[in-house]
Amino acid sequence: MKAKYVNPFITAAMNLFHDYLGLNVTSGKPYILQDPSSLNEVSGIIGLAGETAGAVVLSFTRETAIKIISKLAGRTYQALSRDVIDGVGELINIIAGNAKKDLLDFRIVISLPGVIAGADYEIHWPEQIPVISIPFSSDLGDFSLNVSLKDAD
Amino acid sequence: MKFLVVDDSGVMRRIHSNILKEHNIDESEIFEAENGEKALEIARKEDIGMFLVDWNMPKLDGLKFVEYIRAMESYKDVPVIMITSEAARYNVVDAIKAGVTNYIVKPIKGDTLWEKISRYLV
Repeated sequence: MKAKYVNPFITAAMNLFHDYLGLNVTSGKPYILQDPSSLNEVSGIIGLAGETAGAVVLSFTRETAIKIISKLAGRTYQALSRDVIDGVGELINIIAGNAKKDLLDFRIVISLPGVIAGADYEIHWPEQIPVISIPFSSDLGDFSLNVSLKDAD
Repeated sequence: MKFLVVDDSGVMRRIHSNILKEHNIDESEIFEAENGEKALEIARKEDIGMFLVDWNMPKLDGLKFVEYIRAMESYKDVPVIMITSEAARYNVVDAIKAGVTNYIVKPIKGDTLWEKISRYLV
């Protein structure tokens, strides 16, 4: 998977978390995710289709998800409520949709977001395409963005 | 003037409705729908003066919803602001072809959204 396919997702995430939500956030070095179970408890997922195939997953601890969605919604949530789940879906939707404008090799259709929460789940990533994980640190907690996208032919 | 806020995310519907309320739009003038189907039901019953519409939604998406209302005589010229994460140029082109009046890419600050909305207030 080419680096140029990962960078638009990092840019979109920084735009959302730093520029829009005003978080003090930094992105770490991307790496190949060897163990899919290393994702956190709350993950927002979007499938990528059209002239490519793939998926993008935004993964938080429960606490970080609650804090970040509280910031997004302008109200304080104490638990992993329906609103927090909804908000995590919206965050990954914004990242995937925004990244499309810099992914110029293909026309991409994004799926509706799904959110899974729990200690033990497995994501079935597209086969034979590596998953690149980008770690983020923020003042509301760490999280990761995980991208798997088939190269253009 | 009645507003219809259409978004499958309850959090986003509330954020957008709150921006309207903060600018003295009465709560009774703000309608919400979680998909295009529900939005069509409301649009048939109420005389909506402006639509704020997301793109990606279950059942009936925002683009098809806009095509439906543009085919209705009463909504031929009513402002439709699409507020979506879909940032690709081809998406904007498709939305304009479907009949949206203005296209806004999420995330958007409240002040910027209101500035766009206020252009179409009568």
